[in-house]
Amino acid sequence: MDAGLVRTYLGVPLYRPKVAFFEFSSCEGCQLQLLNNESSLLDFLALVDVVNFREAMKEKADDYEIAFVEGSITRSDEAERLKDIRSKAKVLVALGSCACFGGVNQLKNRFSLDWVKKEVYGNSPVETEPVRPLGDVVRVDLKIFGCPVKKEEVEKIVTNIAVGKAVAHPKYPVCTECKANENICLFDLGEPCLGPITRGGCDSWCPNSRFGCWGCRGPAEDANVEQLKKIMKEYGFSEDTILDRLECFGGFSAFADTLRKSGEKNKGTSA
Amino acid sequence: MIFRVFAREELKKLFDAMASKNKIVGPVEIARDHNGKPLFAFNEVNSFNDIKLDYTTTKLSAKKYFLPYKEDLAAFRMDENDWQKKVDYNISEPFIFFGLHACDINALNKLDKVLMGSVYPMPYYAAKRKNMFIVGIDCTPQPYCFCRSMGADTALHGFDMFITDIGEKYFVEILSDTAFNFLKNIRTAEPIEADHIHYMKVASEKNKKFTAHVDTTDLTKILDMEFQSDVWKQWGEKCLACGSCSKACPTCYCYGVEETVDINLRGAKKTKKLYSCNLIDFAEVAGGHNFRPERHVRLKYRYYHKHRGFVEAYEESLCVGCGRCGEACLANITVPEVIASVRGEEN
Amino acid sequence: MDNQLKFTDIISEALQKQHRKSDLSTFEYTYKAEITNIHRLTEMENLYRIQIIDTEERRQFIFQPGQFLMLELPGIGEAPFSISSSPARHGDVELCIRKAGNLTNFLSRVGRGTHVGIRGPFGTNFPMEKMHGQNILLVAGGLGLAPLRSAISYAQDNRSRFNSVDIIYGAKDPSQLLFTYQYDMWRADDIGLSIIVDKPDSSWKGPVGLVTKILEQMFSERGNPFFKSTYAIVCGPPVMFKFVCNMLNQKDIPMQKMFVSLERRMHCGMGKCCRCNVGSTYTCLNGPVFDYWTVMNLKEAI
Repeated sequence: MDAGLVRTYLGVPLYRPKVAFFEFSSCEGCQLQLLNNESSLLDFLALVDVVNFREAMKEKADDYEIAFVEGSITRSDEAERLKDIRSKAKVLVALGSCACFGGVNQLKNRFSLDWVKKEVYGNSPVETEPVRPLGDVVRVDLKIFGCPVKKEEVEKIVTNIAVGKAVAHPKYPVCTECKANENICLFDLGEPCLGPITRGGCDSWCPNSRFGCWGCRGPAEDANVEQLKKIMKEYGFSEDTILDRLECFGGFSAFADTLRKSGEKNKGTSA
Repeated sequence: MIFRVFAREELKKLFDAMASKNKIVGPVEIARDHNGKPLFAFNEVNSFNDIKLDYTTTKLSAKKYFLPYKEDLAAFRMDENDWQKKVDYNISEPFIFFGLHACDINALNKLDKVLMGSVYPMPYYAAKRKNMFIVGIDCTPQPYCFCRSMGADTALHGFDMFITDIGEKYFVEILSDTAFNFLKNIRTAEPIEADHIHYMKVASEKNKKFTAHVDTTDLTKILDMEFQSDVWKQWGEKCLACGSCSKACPTCYCYGVEETVDINLRGAKKTKKLYSCNLIDFAEVAGGHNFRPERHVRLKYRYYHKHRGFVEAYEESLCVGCGRCGEACLANITVPEVIASVRGEEN
Repeated sequence: MDNQLKFTDIISEALQKQHRKSDLSTFEYTYKAEITNIHRLTEMENLYRIQIIDTEERRQFIFQPGQFLMLELPGIGEAPFSISSSPARHGDVELCIRKAGNLTNFLSRVGRGTHVGIRGPFGTNFPMEKMHGQNILLVAGGLGLAPLRSAISYAQDNRSRFNSVDIIYGAKDPSQLLFTYQYDMWRADDIGLSIIVDKPDSSWKGPVGLVTKILEQMFSERGNPFFKSTYAIVCGPPVMFKFVCNMLNQKDIPMQKMFVSLERRMHCGMGKCCRCNVGSTYTCLNGPVFDYWTVMNLKEAI
């Protein structure tokens, strides 16, 4: 596109921010999602001025306004680097479940650090800390949920930022979109699913393939976790099945902690 | 009303005559549940063998064919400082519903009242409704069916022909000349007295099979009186606020409109998505105020709309008693139980 | 015989745009309009003057005070706004809009000449003609002055048809007062205007408190016969109109002679989407203007 020409929408000049992409402890799959559809990539790049994206380009610059940050914080040097990014960025976006909630990485927090180090690195241990989401270290301005993030959703958010439209996440749970996609309810098929309590916006990505929801986008607003626990029980799923899913991505950590404690207490009293 | 009877083997011929030149939507088996029970849905069918006319209620209603879950109301072409709006009602050909139960036909009749009969008729619905040909089929009441309580167990109008299995023959009611013409493709006969007797026997046996009931006596008043009842709170505690009830319902028509800008900024869309009054932000206004922030208040509103507001406006309930909402609800919130509890009845 | 069903084109039968409520083609019909001026009223509110571009359509756009329209910015969104201008100006309307959400924030950034879409007018209105020969009392709280201003314009345009016309207007603080430039014009048209603020600044010389304070003063000054021949229009937050209407009812103004305007977030404006329902009443069809008796009987209204 012509660099000198300022594009407008309804007469309002577009905001074409300088953006940078960074990653911490993660699989970098969220960033990959963005590169993963050639048909809209050029339009996407016309909306933003990418100055730093290790997965996609060689050039690097520190002059950015929006930082998209993937991954969770697991070492002290990561925390320092994140603070540095925060100081340079006007807007810091947590990209994906690791950045928003700790993601799969935070499963480590259930075990002692010594055991973890030994299990993972054996006799050549490296420094590691309990996993933290970005928000525990710096201020996060916007969260984009999902493991991985949904490309269409990121594109919509970036388009909204460019034209100056509010970014709003769905408040309803996955079921709302799952029913609209005419899926068979996974409970009918005898599969557990966190769809009734997990924030929608993924267009019921997993249930569309008859794969129960694991809650990667964290809780829907007004999520009725207590009721889903009862339902899971009625359908014959163990408390561990529920706990595995609630704990998997870290979005439900508050509920999972309570459930784990009450589970341990019950085991204690019954023993 | 014109009645005919025809031999069982003629039905396939009727289907084939219809299918040769028209799109047909009918009940098909889509899977088995974890207990081995078949699950049904309305889908496009090409072969008579794919259609399951003895189906039990589909999990979701047929409304995707007349109230799609997601539908573009308009598309915009954006020029530098101007725009053009293009409206499309999203239907290009007529189609045939082959095998709708009475409850689902009644659902259409109810929707007609609000979406076509009142002020501001909705062309997106009307265009689809005016282009559907309906073959109704009788059914066997299931444990969750309470259509009889809602007066929706038989369809008086709103279809082209309605087929009832009376044993060796099918008994058919004919309501349109298009239907009459289609029947010219097969061998039919005027019903004789014995056919009438068979028909009445089938009907009375069907009536005996209903196990779920809703007492609608004075219901509008009772809902008003019990507006502040704590009963609602108990149901609200169970509600997942997921909107599955509304999505499964054949008459829930509430929606939200969202506009989006294309990523290339050269176009925009205005999209209608069926919403649900149980979803948390249903009654949220600009600035963030929410008129129904609590689950039980939203759940109550849904009952209030179906069983009171619509009755007030149209002298009939918006509920047809198909029982889909209760079947779709993982928390087991069913209309017969909710209404009974509001009436202070024990279950 | 031919077994093929014929496609029914629901619009071809009546394609002429009659703009009648029963015409299918008007459902999603948008008047193209231009923002001809933007007047900053306060830090949060702008007054947008919006003109339907086609002169014939503009002339045919007929509304009554209290009605609303749907304003659309393609791709950004569509939302309901009550019309703030005189009905005599037809499709050359003014909308007083507060920056509160996505659409209104975007709107605060557009310039003159922007093309927008308008659908409507929708909803019920203040029955101004019924009020002829009577006193009218207009009570506004905050942004409630926006729908009321159309009724005020009507009273100005038809001043001889009313006896006393009084406005009582309350705002949080002096910086939030709307339409300050018009106060002298209203007074010049023999419209009584009392303004009260809740939180005065150092320059404020007027009364301090809530609109009910002015109302009490009015009660002590004017006798019951005055209120017996008075219609009231009350616009503002539910707590405010509830208090005011109850006070007026004690002065024997029947509830059916008091009108309020309810605010809900319509998505269609035509009694379809159900987003604006109060209890099971459509605010867009049966409202936004209701008499107070009806509001009292609506579940969830207050």
